[in-house]
Amino acid sequence: MFSAHLKNELWKLFGKKRTYIGFGAFLLAQNAMLLTFRFTRWQSEMERMLEGNGYLAMEYVSALTVAVIMLIPQVILLLPLYTSLVGGDLVAKEAEDGTLRMILSRPISRLRLLFVKWIAGMIFAGVLVLVLGAAALLFAWMWFPWKGMFVFAPGMVFNVLGAADGLRLYLLSQVFMTMNAVVILSLAFMFSCFNMKPAAATIMALSFLFLNLVMESIPFFERYQEWFLPYHFRVWLYIYADPTPWSRILGSVSVLVAFCLTAFLVGAAVFQTRDIKS
Amino acid sequence: MIRLEQVTKIFGCRPAVDALDLHVPTGEIYGLLGHNGAGKSTAIGMMLGQVWPTAGRIKIRGRDVFADRWGALGRVGAIFESPAFYDYLSGYRNLEIFASYTAPTPRKRLLEILDWVGLSGREKSKVRTYSHGMRARLALAQTLLPDPELLILDEPSDGLDPEGIHEMRRTILRLHCELKVTILLSSHFLNEVEQTCTRIAVLKQGRKVFEGGMRQIRRRDRWLRVRTSDFKAAVGGLTEAGLAAAGTGEGMIVLADGVGPEAVARFLVERGMPVYELSPAEQTLENFYLALMDAAQNQPSG
Repeated sequence: MFSAHLKNELWKLFGKKRTYIGFGAFLLAQNAMLLTFRFTRWQSEMERMLEGNGYLAMEYVSALTVAVIMLIPQVILLLPLYTSLVGGDLVAKEAEDGTLRMILSRPISRLRLLFVKWIAGMIFAGVLVLVLGAAALLFAWMWFPWKGMFVFAPGMVFNVLGAADGLRLYLLSQVFMTMNAVVILSLAFMFSCFNMKPAAATIMALSFLFLNLVMESIPFFERYQEWFLPYHFRVWLYIYADPTPWSRILGSVSVLVAFCLTAFLVGAAVFQTRDIKS
Repeated sequence: MIRLEQVTKIFGCRPAVDALDLHVPTGEIYGLLGHNGAGKSTAIGMMLGQVWPTAGRIKIRGRDVFADRWGALGRVGAIFESPAFYDYLSGYRNLEIFASYTAPTPRKRLLEILDWVGLSGREKSKVRTYSHGMRARLALAQTLLPDPELLILDEPSDGLDPEGIHEMRRTILRLHCELKVTILLSSHFLNEVEQTCTRIAVLKQGRKVFEGGMRQIRRRDRWLRVRTSDFKAAVGGLTEAGLAAAGTGEGMIVLADGVGPEAVARFLVERGMPVYELSPAEQTLENFYLALMDAAQNQPSG
């Protein structure tokens, strides 16, 4: 029964066009960025930075390096937007369209229905990140050679890696990016369980994230930065650090998992007590 | 089949349903009537476990809807006004999705149901291409998925053209006759209720103001057509004297229990009111309903 429910939720999710907006936007953004990298001074500036640190620039301006650089702004800007768009739809859109009332005239429990929807949302988040990561690498490979990897994020990571190690860490970072996407989706999903329009649920989730980002960047809150989600979202970049800060990574993963579960439980509690009316 | 005991639902400080007792016996086509906001949809929402009652108990098929959802709703189908579907999916896929929330349904059974409602050949088309009538048939099909013992139909003819309404009425009777299902029908169309239902309840402002069989409503001997010089005064006098239970604006009165037409004639003549006509009348549901609403309006609240 569970697999049948999940299969149907996936049909519903992947059957509608708006689910694919995020995929399309990512592909467009990636190609725009690649053109910028290729035909502006970006490449020469990066070579200067590498050579200033004693590395042979030509060995590290590669598909892997460019793919990671492309992912950084997309993870910060586009990933929250498109995962919260889908997360906000999961329950609220069905309530708005009236199909939720049709479903809840059946004997299925509300908790089970929500759980299946949440799992389907997580699968979407995984697929979105997978496509995002694969497309970034593929497109970068079309324009740049397959060589060593250089990762630089101010204050966090400065590392150069061989192509094999770089690819291994690139794949591992996708797992942590998926976790970020699942957290954002769970947040939007939680708001979606309240009696509100789908757009409102998406906006609430984005506002929450934006507030986190703003507060974390205010110097006064520096000592409280562990209380803000963006601090933990950076785990996917720390994977590239040498040595790998596993305690920092595990700590953040624990916080993100706890956040997901809390968001689901709050959403489920609200949904359970709601009156579903036309 | 359905039993509501002292069910109350309060939204904010407004009671939508107030101490409602309702019993829908097995095998009936039971009509639920009332004006907009009378509490019909809220009552149906509570029957399906979608709306939490503030007080009272609701049982379907002998099982409490909130304590044993599977037991209560396992063989119940429901249609709401303007049924909603996943328009971007096919009719067949929609049925498959709704079926899964009760129990996995074999493909053969889904196709049988589509055939029964007359959607064979269009099952692979996306629902967005369906006409209003086809959507209504698909809605009906999804109610039949759990092999139902009870159908709850909330304004099923809403938005249909006259042919669609006629077809829906025929289908309801066919379902009752061929599949022996109990049906609860909430509708604004008094004509539809009159032609299909065997028993009705009337709600007004969340309270039940009438419950009885259609035969009881149609009883000729209780309704009189009265034509006199001042019908309103006549009804007032007759009601005050305990001879009439209610009157309509169309020259009809409902006789009080145990009162015959001769008592009405005598009363009017004694008051000096000319009697131009006094004849028994076949009461329509519309007249009955309007009289009931008038009577409920005139009753002191509380």
